[in-house]
Amino acid sequence: MGTNTDYIIAVDNLVKEYNGGKVTALDHCSLNVKKGQVIAIIGPSGSGKSTMLRSLNLLEEPTSGKIYFNGIDLTSKGVDINKHRQKMGMVFQHFNLFPHKTVLENITMAPVTLKRQTEAESRETAMKLLERVGLLDKANEYPNMLSGGQKQRIAIVRALAMGPEVMLFDEPTSALDPEMVGEVLDVMKELAAEGMTMIVVTHEMGFAREVADEIVFMSEGRIIERGIPKQIFDNPSNERTKNFIDKVL
Amino acid sequence: MFWDWWQSLFADMSSTNFLNFSFLPKYGYAVIQGVEYTLILSVISVLMAVLPALLLATMRLSKNKAVRCISGAYIAAFRSTPILVQLMIIYYGVFSIITVPKFMIFGFIDSTRFIPGVTALALNSSAYVAEIFRAGILAVDSGQMEAARSLGLSHSQSMRLVILPQAVKNVLPALANEVITMVKESSVCMVLGMAEIMFTAQTIGGRTMISVGPYMLSEFIYFVVTYPTSKVIERIERRMRRGDKH
Repeated sequence: MGTNTDYIIAVDNLVKEYNGGKVTALDHCSLNVKKGQVIAIIGPSGSGKSTMLRSLNLLEEPTSGKIYFNGIDLTSKGVDINKHRQKMGMVFQHFNLFPHKTVLENITMAPVTLKRQTEAESRETAMKLLERVGLLDKANEYPNMLSGGQKQRIAIVRALAMGPEVMLFDEPTSALDPEMVGEVLDVMKELAAEGMTMIVVTHEMGFAREVADEIVFMSEGRIIERGIPKQIFDNPSNERTKNFIDKVL
Repeated sequence: MFWDWWQSLFADMSSTNFLNFSFLPKYGYAVIQGVEYTLILSVISVLMAVLPALLLATMRLSKNKAVRCISGAYIAAFRSTPILVQLMIIYYGVFSIITVPKFMIFGFIDSTRFIPGVTALALNSSAYVAEIFRAGILAVDSGQMEAARSLGLSHSQSMRLVILPQAVKNVLPALANEVITMVKESSVCMVLGMAEIMFTAQTIGGRTMISVGPYMLSEFIYFVVTYPTSKVIERIERRMRRGDKH
């Protein structure tokens, strides 16, 4: 395992400790993701789901363990993480749009600054993506004029504009009013259907069941169980998984 | 005619009377120049402090402990000692090594005193402004840095494009307050013979033998400049905070 390039992402024995080892957020977690797979990470709050996801692009620096992205160990010294992050889009619970920039500027800033596209190219890409999520008319608005659902769709577009190979979603619908959850999930479903590799931390069990190829159940910093949705939801093998599923369904 | 009437007001007044302003006809112009001197001195000092302060603030937030300590030591040293002492050390120490060419700024400001004075005030102010900047940067939601970094931007690109533009807005009222503080603090420059408000008052007192009057006038001028300005800033601040909620 490890350098195996069958996997776009391979996590090997990841450990994350806080306060000098007093708190263990991730306890020897391993996870392989194939290209095109949609993985949903579920579990009670405080189980380490978000820490796991945020470790994948090193927003959290792991205490030990390895993270391979396209066969390259991101945790090894001398790796230019900025280069790899360009290929790993991330969407946050609280959108984190840049409030001082227009929607269009939010989307084009990174591709232009990092010289992935010219100003004109990136604007064209942005407009196409905005049209796809039905927000073309918002291009010149500032984020504070948008609803939560619109903000999150823009945030997805901002990540897609970099042409990522993987999309990481950190509870993308948890901060939304219920009536706006659908519009964001629809965009994500479309992405999944197009073959995007996605890792989604979510409380939306319906979405996980319908869209995910595999479900990963985490509890207390450990990956407890992993399997296809049908097995995890209908026939969990672990008692803790069963308890959790019973509570949320 | 007006000044005749003005003089008659103070005809029987003793030279120690708080409200003896009989010096005004003769020295009014000097007072106005003193006010101009003070305003120029304080505004330029704070402006000169902005860039070093930005550097100090970024150093203070650095991951490198040594860099953090250097900036911390500078800020601590300048904030924990009297500005008068700093002024003396810089004037008699640093500027005994560096010679400033003599010329007049705006026709009435002597460069050989002004430049050392501004340097001292700016160095002092940069310590305070650095703390203002640090607070302004920390007030920007941490999700902003994460979002920028997740797109592949480097730390400095994220700072420049995402964090600092938002921090500036947080910082402007505090920076204006620093100018107000500097209007008051710059009065220490009288000891170097810089012809700002206080030095002018002292000179007038010496020439006319009117002891308190000139200082009462200075008191009045400082108040008239600083109090309304600080009230205006308070209002702008309140309005900005309202604008933030969305």
